[in-house]
Amino acid sequence: MVAGSLTGTISAQNAQQEANLKAAFIYNFTKYIDWGSYNRDSLFIIGVAGDSPIMQSLNAIAAADRINNKRVIVKSINTGADIADCDLIFISNKCRMSLNYILSKTRPGVLTVSEQPGFAEAGTALNFVVVNNRLKFEANLKAISAAGLKAGSQLLKLAIIVD
Amino acid sequence: MLKFNDISLRNKLILMQVFTSVVVFGIVFGVFIITDANSYKQRKVDSMVSIAKVLGTNSISSIQFQDPESATQMLQELQTVSPEIIRSEITNKEGQVFASYSKAGTETFSIPQILHGKSYSFVAQQLFVSNPIKSNNEVIGNVYLQVTLTELQRIKQYKYELAFILLLVALVFSFLIAVLVQGYLSTRLLNLVNVVRKIRKTGEITKAVEDKGKDEIATLIQAFNKLMDEIRENQKKKDEFIGIASHELKTPLTSIKGYVEMLNMLEQDPQKKQFVKKALNNINKLESLVKDLLDVSKIQSGQLQLEMKEFNIDELLNETVNASQMVSETHRIVKQDSPVNEMIYGDRQRIEQVLLNLLSNAIKYSPGENTVILETEKTEKELIIKIRDYGIGVAPEEQTNIFERFYRSNKVAVHISGFGLGLYICRDIINRHSGRIWVESAGKGSVFNFSLPLKHSPIQQIHA
Repeated sequence: MVAGSLTGTISAQNAQQEANLKAAFIYNFTKYIDWGSYNRDSLFIIGVAGDSPIMQSLNAIAAADRINNKRVIVKSINTGADIADCDLIFISNKCRMSLNYILSKTRPGVLTVSEQPGFAEAGTALNFVVVNNRLKFEANLKAISAAGLKAGSQLLKLAIIVD
Repeated sequence: MLKFNDISLRNKLILMQVFTSVVVFGIVFGVFIITDANSYKQRKVDSMVSIAKVLGTNSISSIQFQDPESATQMLQELQTVSPEIIRSEITNKEGQVFASYSKAGTETFSIPQILHGKSYSFVAQQLFVSNPIKSNNEVIGNVYLQVTLTELQRIKQYKYELAFILLLVALVFSFLIAVLVQGYLSTRLLNLVNVVRKIRKTGEITKAVEDKGKDEIATLIQAFNKLMDEIRENQKKKDEFIGIASHELKTPLTSIKGYVEMLNMLEQDPQKKQFVKKALNNINKLESLVKDLLDVSKIQSGQLQLEMKEFNIDELLNETVNASQMVSETHRIVKQDSPVNEMIYGDRQRIEQVLLNLLSNAIKYSPGENTVILETEKTEKELIIKIRDYGIGVAPEEQTNIFERFYRSNKVAVHISGFGLGLYICRDIINRHSGRIWVESAGKGSVFNFSLPLKHSPIQQIHA
């Protein structure tokens, strides 16, 4: 568990620390998301859109932990085609592709996580927001179910639910 | 202080039974309360551990996503459901408090320090519980609960009161049962004891003690009855022997006395006459002893008959005083008080026998003195005759015994001959006249009293 060792406020943190916290959150998200019949292969592939310090954080997790008892691969997404084999994609605020483009290329069975205000309303499943200097996250229930995924109640009770 | 041995058998039995039941019930109730309290505590521990587990499971995501508000809110809600939980705390992996909630007024001290690594602990009427929060077999924090056990105190209090009331009820019941049951044992023993007491007091052996049991008490009673039968049989034989012996002795004695009296009259030689007189004196003594034995035998067999008629008591008193005075060479017998002037209904000869007996006793038991006083006292209903001497007296513990058959004082330093039958015969005669006989003695000197009922008949002429 990575998140437990981090302090909750993010104002005083530098970009890498913020990225570490978000990576830990993403790792924890996977514990409460049920991929159902998807994610049948032996790897769990996380795609990162945009040149974000989170790549480094996620790689550290991938080296240490497994998700759904699978080895974790972190890769960078540069084109729509890169999304195809991902189980989870993180749309960073450095991403140059438009959200609509990415969403249009995303097939069911992929959990979309973003970090910009309004993205959850726009269609990502989960979206990081900062409330009172604390890292929180929004959840779009329609997007989650449209992706064919199920989110655990323990996750949703902490989420800010949006339509 | 009251010794256990001084308590009566009856009360001992009751006491033992009541004591036993109190001890037994006390132990039972004690165990009952302790077990009850312990099982309550165990149930409390179990339920609190369950609550801690649920809290832990529900706070996993809160810890993972660093959301203490949601955890705090959960703890807050818990308080409304279980008010006995006065403090709840969730710590993270490093042991820092992640979320906590405590009731107002609750002292805050470190629960982990109280627990010392144990999963639960009872301290000062409070229960402390800890349960680790695990996610994928990894401990990510701890749940701590502080629970007041006021309910336990209340339950204990209630159980103590209940036990106390039940103990009182048990006490009353065991007392009642003991009172009922003890009779079965003690009545029979006390019956025997009462018979023994009666025999000791009256000297009369009554009928056999009845008992239907077959236990040790029955054996004791049977042995006692057998013993009493033997004693009664021996007494009967002895009485028979006395009767026969005194009769057989009397006949030749009367004949000897007759001849010696004749010899006394005929003998002229002073030397020989003196021998004859000495012989006659001893024959008279022997005769009075044999007469006493005969009287006792008559009393025992119920053959002593009184010849009741009215006679003048003053006459009798004067006669006996004079007769005693003639025999005594050492004492002066003084009759005090004015004449009684009353007629007595009774056996004149027997009353005379009593007077002579008491006067001769008074002389015998006051060696070295020279006066015996006869006094009379008249009340509404009876005449009391008192014979006072200044002799050795009668010890207090002997004052009732001296009227028994064959009783000889062992306190008397001087040796005085006799069978010890005189006072026994006197008592019997006086009792048959519905009178009383008793002795008053304080150290030196004694007063023998006997009373005769008065009828206040007119005085008859004194016969010449």
